[in-house]
Amino acid sequence: MSRDSEIPGARATAERPWATSRRSFLKGVGLAAGAAAVLPGIGSAAEPAATAASADVDYTGDGQRQITLMVNGAPAVVAVEPRTTLLEALRTGLDLTGAKEVCDRGSCGCCTVLLDGRAVVSCLMLAVDAVGREIVTVEGIAADPKYKNLIDGLCEHDAAQCGFCIPGFVVRSAEFLKSTPNPTPDDIRAGLAGNVCRCGTYSKLFDGVAAAAAKGGVK
Amino acid sequence: MNPANDVALENERPRVDIRQKITGAARYTADQQPARMIFAKAVRFPYGAGKVVSADVEAAKKVKGVLEVEVDMEEVAEYPGAPIGHIVAESRAAIEDAEEALALKFERTAPKTDPVALHKAPESPQGGVFEGAAAVVEGTWRTQVQTHSCLEPHGSVVDHRGASAEVWGSTQTTFGHLDGMKGPTGLDASQIVVHCEYVGGGFGSKFGIGREGDLAARMSKKYQRPCKAMLDRSEEHLDGGNRPGSIQYIKLAADKDGKLLGGRMDLVSIVGHGRGGGGVAGLGDVYDLGAIEETESEINLNFAKPRAFRAPGWPQAVFALEGALDALAAKLGMDPIAFRIKNDKSQRRKERQYRVGADLIGWKDRKPDGTATGRVRRGFGMGSALWPTWPTKCGAQADIFRSGRVEVRVGVQDIGTGTFTLVTDVAAHELGIDRDLVTGRVGDSRFPAGPGSGGSQVSRSAAPATVNAVRDALDQLKASVASEWKIDKEKVKYGKGTFSTEDGAKKLEWAKACALLADEKVTGNGRTETGTEGSGTSDCVQFAEVEVDTETGIVRVKKIVAVHAAGVVVNRLTFENQICGGVIQGISYALFENVRLDPKTGAMVNADFIGYKIAGSKDIPEIVPVLDVEPGDTGVRPIGEPSTIPTAAAIANAVSNAIGARIMELPITPQRVLAALESKGGAA
Repeated sequence: MSRDSEIPGARATAERPWATSRRSFLKGVGLAAGAAAVLPGIGSAAEPAATAASADVDYTGDGQRQITLMVNGAPAVVAVEPRTTLLEALRTGLDLTGAKEVCDRGSCGCCTVLLDGRAVVSCLMLAVDAVGREIVTVEGIAADPKYKNLIDGLCEHDAAQCGFCIPGFVVRSAEFLKSTPNPTPDDIRAGLAGNVCRCGTYSKLFDGVAAAAAKGGVK
Repeated sequence: MNPANDVALENERPRVDIRQKITGAARYTADQQPARMIFAKAVRFPYGAGKVVSADVEAAKKVKGVLEVEVDMEEVAEYPGAPIGHIVAESRAAIEDAEEALALKFERTAPKTDPVALHKAPESPQGGVFEGAAAVVEGTWRTQVQTHSCLEPHGSVVDHRGASAEVWGSTQTTFGHLDGMKGPTGLDASQIVVHCEYVGGGFGSKFGIGREGDLAARMSKKYQRPCKAMLDRSEEHLDGGNRPGSIQYIKLAADKDGKLLGGRMDLVSIVGHGRGGGGVAGLGDVYDLGAIEETESEINLNFAKPRAFRAPGWPQAVFALEGALDALAAKLGMDPIAFRIKNDKSQRRKERQYRVGADLIGWKDRKPDGTATGRVRRGFGMGSALWPTWPTKCGAQADIFRSGRVEVRVGVQDIGTGTFTLVTDVAAHELGIDRDLVTGRVGDSRFPAGPGSGGSQVSRSAAPATVNAVRDALDQLKASVASEWKIDKEKVKYGKGTFSTEDGAKKLEWAKACALLADEKVTGNGRTETGTEGSGTSDCVQFAEVEVDTETGIVRVKKIVAVHAAGVVVNRLTFENQICGGVIQGISYALFENVRLDPKTGAMVNADFIGYKIAGSKDIPEIVPVLDVEPGDTGVRPIGEPSTIPTAAAIANAVSNAIGARIMELPITPQRVLAALESKGGAA
């Protein structure tokens, strides 16, 4: 047997060569600067609107603190650690389970929420960095008449199989239809390219988004 | 459906639970968080083979919020991700900290990661059918290991309360989960309730409760608190199920008329550290292959055991065989379809499916292999498959309420295929009433038992069971009407929401008849012992049109035509969705997905969704699902599995047609396309 604890790039204290740990990944992509990584078609959360609110936070420490997030138009108090992601705060802290944890590394889009109107992957954003910003989840979109055409269009076209990825597509589509009110089929394909569906419901999703645009899109 | 022989059953309304899914209101197992819940997670070995040599369990136990840590220092791990212990804690963050505090150190032995190096090429058989044959083709086809990649991970939430337990399972078998929970909870099936109303995909990987379900149950029992154990994404790739790879040596002979004479097939499955997942299917059912000498064997790698994956064994086998058939057709100078019609066993395909599919894909524009010119070259290909039926038992219950509403209960799960919708639509159709009056309920172990979502057997068995339950309830409602009219029950006629006497003198609408019920509701029971009423084999053929950029090697699938016998389609939209889904998974398998192992350490280097690519929106072509119906089709036929079988074969044949070199290996990466162009090699 060969003894080996020196894998390049791996930490000797916790060998996980199949995947970077969440904490080292978050540190690696520089989330302490308040930036969420960007997916194709999904916007950056890098605008420095609220970094001041969290500038003194130790991002690697533990211990919980209470923060107030503006979620779906109302303030919500949630206890988080500095390392808690926005996704975790929404799902576990606020029981808003529409946004799903799937890849946990910003590569599938299933946790997408609107942050000041832009679609971001909430698994790559720290909850403390979302303080002072306007967060809208799929639950908020579903309850907002502005998005009725989108919800109806997707429903009418049966745009779900297992349905686990769909909330992410809905949130991204909400942003997409605002920026692209009259999309071509290619626009829709490109616009949804940051989200992944395993059941292969894409054809119906495209139909649903096109139908939503035809109904008048989002307000 | 005994004898529901009314194809008008088909409707185009979205699935009944679509709004819950679109709005995020649907709660999956991953979304359950009962009060006081604790979390459990496996400790895993990261490399191909070896064991842990050092673990600071005491330090991990001291982490705030940690309840328990165990590491098995004796366990010899045989694959990356092999569980070697577990951590239980108040939060996921505490588990993360405990993992770090464990400071695991390992030693590893040399892993087996390269199936080609472990494969012994068979000697080319001579004589026999090969002697005097007009055409002979010989080659070795290879397919990759593919992970199921369900978006909702495997796992359970178990709330053990001493004498009972409530369980949420991300499972494709409600009753398998119930059975599996008996041991670790120490309870009888009568004391356990399993919920799985919403399941985020399964594809064959979610049978049994798994190590994670077992852990959640044991820890909930031990601490008398709800316990959640769900895999993370890397664990999903490493230990959440995979389709075995294959190395398939094929030598086939045909006569000058294109009749297959037979040959030799050495089918090797690449199966990780143990058996499973169906190996490579033999394909004598689709074509009459002649006198085939076939061997089946396995190569073990240091990777997780395979699990059944949507049509286990089939996509890989069809890819190889259909490639060999195209190569033979080219040698004989025959059109690939004409060649297949000479050897196909299915009348349905020969008489109709090939013609319909060829018309819709534009087969007349297909040029002989390798004669397309220019940088971007177009090609066409096809592949055939079938899916059989076998006896499946399923039960159902139906309530008719005094209010006129109906509830149908079938315990089986809905993993995205539309079981909720199927039982609702079948009941509404059988009663001739509006769907909005019917509530279908599934995914609950308190309801009548039925099969797991494997082998495409849920729809074809839940449909007749529902029909029988509804008929039983209707019979009781008829008795109320008969009593009101003071006639024999047998003399009450019913159709499309109206009760009447034989002479039509008396009539009663649905709502008024239901109001006659003496009790709040009547309950009917229904069963099927076979699940094959009016059903039968699902024959299918798929056609692909591709464009290949000969400078970059990039393949773009332009169009897929999928012609499928599906019998009675209950709901047009769920039918189309599932066919398109099977095709898209086939595209993803053909072009992208591939488990990559580090040859030195045996670690999986792409156990995420960054390096493990699955098809995205820009990879989706125009897909044309075609329902092939014959007048004799009276029942529901399988579509889940067959829809994904021939896609990769059709794409590979289309690429071979475009570039004039056979594609011998999946996935069809740009490098492989360029290499094939370079060598013009492959089957000779």
